[in-house]
Amino acid sequence: MLSPHDIIIKPIVTEKSMDDMSENKYTFKVKKDANKIQIKNAVENIFGVKVEKVFTMNMNGKVKRMGKYTGRRANWKKAIVKLTPDSKSIEFFEGI
Amino acid sequence: MGSSVEKIEKSVVTMKIEVSAEDFKKAVTKAYQKNKGKFYIDGFRKGKAPQKIIEQRYGKEVFYEDALDFAFPDAYLKAIEENKIDAVSRPSMESIDKIGEDGLEMTISVAIMPEVELGEYKGFDPGDLAYEPTEEDINVEIEKMQDQNSRLVSAAEGEKAKSGDTAIIDFEGFKDGVAFEGGKAEDHSLVLGSGMFIPGFEDQLIGTAKGDEVEVNVTFPEEYQAEDLAGQDVVFKVAIKDIKTKEVPELDDEFAKDVSEFDTLEELKEDLKKKIKDDKEKELLEIAKVKAVDAAVENAKMEIPDQMIQEEVDKSLRDFEYQLKMQGISMEDYFTYTNMSEETLIGQVKEDSHKKLSRDLVLTKITETEVIEASEDEITAEIEEQAAMYNMDVEKFKSTVTEDQKKYFADSVKRKKTIEFLVDNTKK
Repeated sequence: MLSPHDIIIKPIVTEKSMDDMSENKYTFKVKKDANKIQIKNAVENIFGVKVEKVFTMNMNGKVKRMGKYTGRRANWKKAIVKLTPDSKSIEFFEGI
Repeated sequence: MGSSVEKIEKSVVTMKIEVSAEDFKKAVTKAYQKNKGKFYIDGFRKGKAPQKIIEQRYGKEVFYEDALDFAFPDAYLKAIEENKIDAVSRPSMESIDKIGEDGLEMTISVAIMPEVELGEYKGFDPGDLAYEPTEEDINVEIEKMQDQNSRLVSAAEGEKAKSGDTAIIDFEGFKDGVAFEGGKAEDHSLVLGSGMFIPGFEDQLIGTAKGDEVEVNVTFPEEYQAEDLAGQDVVFKVAIKDIKTKEVPELDDEFAKDVSEFDTLEELKEDLKKKIKDDKEKELLEIAKVKAVDAAVENAKMEIPDQMIQEEVDKSLRDFEYQLKMQGISMEDYFTYTNMSEETLIGQVKEDSHKKLSRDLVLTKITETEVIEASEDEITAEIEEQAAMYNMDVEKFKSTVTEDQKKYFADSVKRKKTIEFLVDNTKK
């Protein structure tokens, strides 16, 4: 059985994600093969909030080279979770 | 926000100031706005990281130092207002007792206007301010005038030179038979007995007559600027080309007419007498003023806080350095020239500052006690006087005077009146 923390890997804290917070949207890096329902449940479980909607997208890992060797960072999945208006907000900045 | 005075000691107040959590938070936010450009955090462009993120990364304390600077002036001003403190120096932070989310508490100390306890300031005896010029005073003046109007007249043939006469001479100096540099001149006017030349030179010319050629034996003084000549015996060959006697005008009405607008010598003397009297009395009055103030200071009791003196000293030193700079001298050069150490100078300045401050304080206190006010007219007069002093157009100058400057002029009038008051009240 996957625990919610296995699905939600870490929050993403950037200018853009901070801006989204004003729309009640919170951004996470999630497990690559997690689906929207799993993400919704995990977020509700961890933060005790109500999720209205989940947007997901697959992010391609960047191609990096080290001299003549090229490599590739792992692909990952980003999830933007929209909370219901009556839900409490997420304070996930502790322990970044 | 609250504040309380802890103690007062030697005119220095120690007080506790509290800044509420809310106000302090505002200060922190202000500090964040000021410093945000310096923080770089992944995911954010420089200067775009939110306060919260920065605080998490670097700890809440990052902004406290600047926040303190922001919070302090307001809190301080409010505190001195609340406690009716007349601060005269910059406050200094003694300790920060509490700083954090729930506000700020600090202890500061500041010098206050010292409490001046006036002693007796009316009883001082200025001495006699009236002055009656004596015959001698007038004669000295007259002689000066005579001297200024004297003429040089060539002496009669064969007349011998005496002290006070002017001799026109050619001379050449020889040391061991060899002419030396700078020892030669032609048509030189030398007033005998004036001491312009090396000692002995002029004396030996006394008794000579026009057309004489004499040899003058002198010894250069040990302390002579030309080193190779100092202390040396030399011979000067001197040709006396002319002897001129000073002809002093006769003291009569004619003289009076020449040197003044008066017709008779009596009138001139009378006028001189008046002038001397005025001058002397003015001088005596000035002395009396200084003495009266000094006496008042002497009798007053006060404790001037060290900070206040220190600030005054700093100010004087800065002014002094500036003055030197205007003349192109650096502080270091000044110390080398005058053989004075910085400590001595500071010591002197400190003493002066102490004197100046105590005088200021005492005079201010007297102004208060005696309720001396400056009227609008008096202020205007003072401004006009200032304008005249700097050769400025009075109307123009008046229009540029600001409220602050006006206050300054008013203070200056008050100060003058206070000093006059002191002198007036001492005569009785």
